[in-house]
Formats: sequence, structure tokens, C-alpha cells
Amino acid sequence: MSNSRISVPEAVSIILIVLVAHTLVSLPKNLLNVTGSATLINLLYVGIIMFFLVLLMVKLFKGFAGQDIIDISNFLGGPVFQKIVGMIFIFYFIFSSSILLRNFCECLKTVYYPMTSLFFILLTFIIALCISNNFNFSVTAKINLIILPIIFVSILFIFFANNQNLSFENMTPILGNGLFDTFVTGLGNLGAFGGIVFLYFIPPYLKEPKKFKKVAMISICLSIVYLIICVAIILLTFTFLLKVDEIMPLYSAARYIEFGSFFQRLESILLLIWIIGMACYFSITLHIAMNIFKKITNIRDSKPLLIPFALLMLSISLLPSNYSISKYLETDIYPRIVIWIGLVLSTLILILAYFKKRIKTLSHNNSQGQNISSTISKKKGFIGNESMD
Amino acid sequence: MKVWIRRLFILIVMIIFLVAFSGSYSALSIDNLSTVVAIAIDTSDINKLRMSFQFTNASSVSESGSTEQSPSIIYSIDCSSISNGVNLMNTYIGKELNLSHCKVIAFSEELAMNGISEEVYTLFNNAQIRPSTNVVITKCTAKYYLENSKPLAENLLTKYYEIFANSSKSTGYTVNATLGEFFSSLICDSCEGYAILGGISSEDSESTTGIDSQKDSSSKANSSSLSGKITSENIGMAVFKGDKLVGELNSIETLSFLATRNEISSFLVSVPDPNDSSSYIDIYLTPIIDSRIDVNIVNGSPYIEVSYSFTGRIYSMKANSNYLDDDVLDKISDSCSNYLETVFSNYLYKTSKDLESDINGFGKNAKSKFLTTQDFENYDWLEHYSDSFFDVSVDVSIRSSYLLTET
Repeated sequence: MSNSRISVPEAVSIILIVLVAHTLVSLPKNLLNVTGSATLINLLYVGIIMFFLVLLMVKLFKGFAGQDIIDISNFLGGPVFQKIVGMIFIFYFIFSSSILLRNFCECLKTVYYPMTSLFFILLTFIIALCISNNFNFSVTAKINLIILPIIFVSILFIFFANNQNLSFENMTPILGNGLFDTFVTGLGNLGAFGGIVFLYFIPPYLKEPKKFKKVAMISICLSIVYLIICVAIILLTFTFLLKVDEIMPLYSAARYIEFGSFFQRLESILLLIWIIGMACYFSITLHIAMNIFKKITNIRDSKPLLIPFALLMLSISLLPSNYSISKYLETDIYPRIVIWIGLVLSTLILILAYFKKRIKTLSHNNSQGQNISSTISKKKGFIGNESMD
Repeated sequence: MKVWIRRLFILIVMIIFLVAFSGSYSALSIDNLSTVVAIAIDTSDINKLRMSFQFTNASSVSESGSTEQSPSIIYSIDCSSISNGVNLMNTYIGKELNLSHCKVIAFSEELAMNGISEEVYTLFNNAQIRPSTNVVITKCTAKYYLENSKPLAENLLTKYYEIFANSSKSTGYTVNATLGEFFSSLICDSCEGYAILGGISSEDSESTTGIDSQKDSSSKANSSSLSGKITSENIGMAVFKGDKLVGELNSIETLSFLATRNEISSFLVSVPDPNDSSSYIDIYLTPIIDSRIDVNIVNGSPYIEVSYSFTGRIYSMKANSNYLDDDVLDKISDSCSNYLETVFSNYLYKTSKDLESDINGFGKNAKSKFLTTQDFENYDWLEHYSDSFFDVSVDVSIRSSYLLTET
């Protein structure tokens, strides 16, 4: 584990790559579907809620320095509860990454590999993440840290290179699909912050667990900014994307970039960068899923789990019989899973564990206090007896 | 032993992937492809569509050298849909058509009048076709347009297709209409579509005789004063309502469109000379700031205020001119402002009352007057656009002339 420790920037990049991976496929469009032209306002709103949720998480995590949610559930409900929670999170990580892998490969097939079987495109990623997971976790984290800023630059590039298409009028009508949809139904957009779920698993990996608060705060702020930029690209430049569903909306936006007749088709370079980013994301998710399994089964080494877990991921990604199903799983099911498993379940476990710890501490303090007072009274009695004598 | 097994495994994986991805490689290999540079779509007597594909003969270009024009080959086919047309053509030529270098899609006027949404949706759905591909509506048959698309001052046809719409930025007489924008307008609930108006110049021009500089700015494709070698011409623009062609704009109206949408960097206009009502002065204008658009809903009808601001220099010169005199420059500025107000106002009323098509996208500005998308949809902007009233104001400030200031 000591070789797998990561620094603060690496931890932040791990949280952000989750968000980046989902935005590259269809996340901005999913957000726009719910709240229409009011998506930027909605993102600020859910971003603020998420910020306070992360603050609460940081406060609750204070008593559990260097522990992840699996350790905390062990503390809360014992080994059986830990195993149940562990299995739920393994399902969460494997399912979300498998579906994203399937959808991303479907897009790659459509754009670049029309005659190649989807299986082989999926297999390419599976082999890549098997190779990367053979190394330490810190290696993947470091590569991720290198590639993430490049992806950020590519997103900013799309935004600025499309400036001739920018139209701020697209932000109106200001309330989009209505007040209720923006602020109540729009709460479903909390599912966009899937990266924050990884915060529950980051503490054991940190070189300095004390800096968990810093990791959490930087991650949530950057996540909000990044999401706003991604949605702005789609909302402010391409009105038709509000009504039409296109594969990889950010890729579609990149297709419009041209600098004279000399620099065209820049989307190919961007897609190459994004493929590396996606491979990093799959690799990280697979590692965390294996690590959870390792914890709940008390095995010493997770390396032998690599092939079975990779094959499990491949199998799940092959399960949807067509793109429509995999798209449905990504756009409708994934955000709900993020909210219920990633945010509600984890926060509940944290809150209950926090109170359990407080009660334990209080009762411990009380028992200690009783011991002290009984010792004092004993001593007093002893002194009194001596004086009587 | 372990190393040997690992190497064998890597070799097997490499072979598997080589075979697996070779299908896509063949599909995109240059030997198996025939590169289409333009597509023409006409109505057909024997089927729904007549599709024509224009190819360039790459080998002829290299043989003939750079001084001669590259020859192009056009094949046509009658088909029921675009996909079937491409499929049939693949069979006939024995190669796969590659549309990733297609720069022009021309629709005949006749087809466009019946609606082209199905064709545009299909083309946009094709991963090979770029959203920047130009859309042209031809006054003649689209095939005839392609056959006569022989660039006057360019050797390579592909290069000509790449740059021909760029003149819209400096002249304002044509428009850079792309497939991406056209597709967007088909879905848009606050704007309508437009395309380049193309035609073929005839050897004997339609124009009547007589000196009239206003005639220069009222030309459009198929009725321009261009004479000589028969060639394609792209002047003016085609206006759509939904997916149907509803009208045309001439060159000065196209200029008004571009000025309203802030898509022009500078342009030349001929305005009445304030000192001599029978003559005109040519002025080169440059927008100072973007046109400001304010839309209000008054008694259920759109009231649209548009203000433009230009700075200009006098281009034409004659004897006894004094362009150092402030009063003269002010008079010319006023004359230019009045002239442009009339031109822009006429253009806006034409789009509203005659064509009933919001190609300017004023609907986008109107959206800010509504709280929710539902409210905007209930109002039905595209139908109400024909009730619009305009208040146009133009501010022109003439700085000077060019090299000669006083004669």
C-alpha cells in the first residue's frame, strides 16, 4: 500500500477524471434534457448543494482519518454489514464503468471503426486496463494527472474555438422548462457529480490523510467549473443539441472547429487524448473495485483478481443488446445509482458511524469519569478511615 | 519459459487485433475509396431523386501539371433515397464512396420547394459528411450546376469549393451557408434556414441596358450581369420556411442579412450623392460594433428594434470633389444612413411580410421576454414573425476618402 500512496493533485485528478469521462460521452446532454436553457442556473444550484454535502462529508470523515467507507461500515455494523456495503460499491463501480465503456466504444465504432466488431474495440480497452493495473496504483494516478490537464485544455479549446457560434441568448428563457423542473426535478442533476463518490475511497490512498479536506474542496470546486464549461459549450453554441440526441455532444461540437482551410478535422486529435483519459478512468475504477473486494474478503494480494474483474467488466459491457439499452442505462439509471448509492447510502453510513463513535466516546468518557470518581471516593474513604483511626 | 509464454501471448493478441481491425482499415483505405467532392440532388422522373456525384481525377491532375484545370467526373443515378443512391453508386464504380471531402451539396430549386428535411437529416446523420459542407440551392438543375462549376481563377476544383463562400465576408453578396447551420435551423423554434443561391451564368445576360449602379446590388444567381464563359455563379441566398424553399434574396438583401447577423467584415455600397440626385457615391463601410437587436412583444406582435453602426471611406472619386470639408462628409453620412435604413428596413419587412421566415434568428432575442420554454413554444414565434414591426436605425460616420481627398 505504501507504494500506492498518492499526493493531493493526484487524488484531485482521480475525482475529476470520473466527471470528465462521463462528460465526454453524454453527460452534458443528459443535464440539458432535464433543465433545458436553465441548466447553467441549475448547475450552480446543485453545485452549491453538493459543496455543502462535501463539507458535511469532510466534517464526518474527521473522526475516521485514513479510513474509507468500507472500513467505516465495518466499524458501524461489523463484518457482515461491511461485506454488504462492499458488494454494493463493487456493483456500483463495475456497472458504471462497464456501461460507460460500452457507450464510448459504440461511439468509437460509429466514428472510426465501422467494420470492426464492437467486441474487439472493448477488448482493446480491457487489455489496456489489465496492463495498467499490473503496475502500482500511483502509476495510474500519475498518468491520470498528466492527461487530465490536457483534457481540460481540449475542452477549453472547444469552447473558445467555437466562439463564432456562441450565442448567450440560448440561456433564455431563463427558467428553462419551468421553476419546478429547474429546482426540484433538476435535483436529479446531482447525479452528475459521480466523481465525489470516489472521495469515500480516497483517504487510505493519501500520502497525507490530513489533507483530505483540501482534496475534497478542490475537487468539488473544479467539478462545478468543469461541468459549467461543458454545458456552456453545448448550450451556448449548438441550440439543436437541446432537441436532438447526438453521440458524444462534445465530439460533435469539436467537428465544427476549423481555422481557415488549413486546420480542419481537429476532433481526431481531441478524440485520441480523450481515449487515453477514458482508459485512465476505467483503470482507476477497476483498481478501486478490486481493492474493495480485497478488503471484504481479507485477501492479501488483489493482483489475481485483475483478470476476473476485467472479464466481468467486459461481460457487463456486452450485456445490453443494443445502443438504446446501454444509453438508457447510462442516462437514466446511472445518475440514480450515483444519488442513491454514491450520495445517500454513503452519507447515511458516515452519519450513523459518526454518531456511533460519539456515543462510544461519550460512554467511554463517562465510564472513565465514573472510574475516576469512584477512585477519588475510594481514596476519600480511605483517608477518612485513616483519620478515624 | 514464462517470458516465452508472455511473448507468444502478445504475438497472438497482436495477430487477433490486426485481423479484427483490418475491416475498418479497408473501409477507410485510400485504394478502396472514391472521394466525392460535391453532390447534386435533383428530382427525378423515374424515381424520387436523381443524385449526381462529382469526383476529381487525381491522376489527371498530376499529369496535366498545375497550370491546367483539373478535370472532374460526374456520375448520376436515380434512386429512392440518398443512402440507396450511395449504395448503388458503390456498386457501379466498384469502390466505396467517401464523403468526408465533400464540400458542396447542391439541391435543385424544384426539389427544395417540396421540402428537403429528409435529405438533410440523412446527410447530417452520415459520420463522413462535415457540418461545414456548403448547401447550395440551384436555379437550374443541380447536376447542370456541378457540370458548370469551373472556377474562373482557380485550377483545382476542390480548392474552389473550399473557398468560394468566403467572399461573403468581404462582399456580402453571397452567404456561407453550411449543412450544420441548415440542420440546426430545421430543429430551431426561433429561426429558419437559408442556403447559398447558385445558378449558371448565360452567355447573353438577362440584364437590361442602361447605367444604374443600383442594378449591381440587385443581381442574383441566374440573372447576374456576368457574361463570357458559361460558369456557375453564387449570388444572393435562398430562404426557407421549415424545410421548404419560399423565396430568394438578391445581393443587397443578402448584404442586409449578413449585416444584421454580424457576419460581414466590410462591404461596398452605392449611395445617392447628396449634391447630385442623379449620381451615386461608392462607399466602403465597416461595422464599428455589432448590430444591436431588441425584441419586444407589443399587443401580441413582435416589435423589433435594430440599430447598426458603420464607419466608412469614400471609394469613388470624380472631379471637383472636396472630402476634407466636414459639411460634405456629414451630408454624405446622412445620405448613406438614410439609404441603408431604407434598404435594411425593406429587407426586414420582406423576410417578415413576404417570406414569413425569420432567417435572422430574432426569435433567439425574443426568448428573453419569456420565462419558460413552454411560454415561448405556446407563443409560436415562427408563426408570429409575419406580424412583426421593425424600427431600423443606422448610424454611418464617413471618415474620408482614400488617397485623394480633394480634386
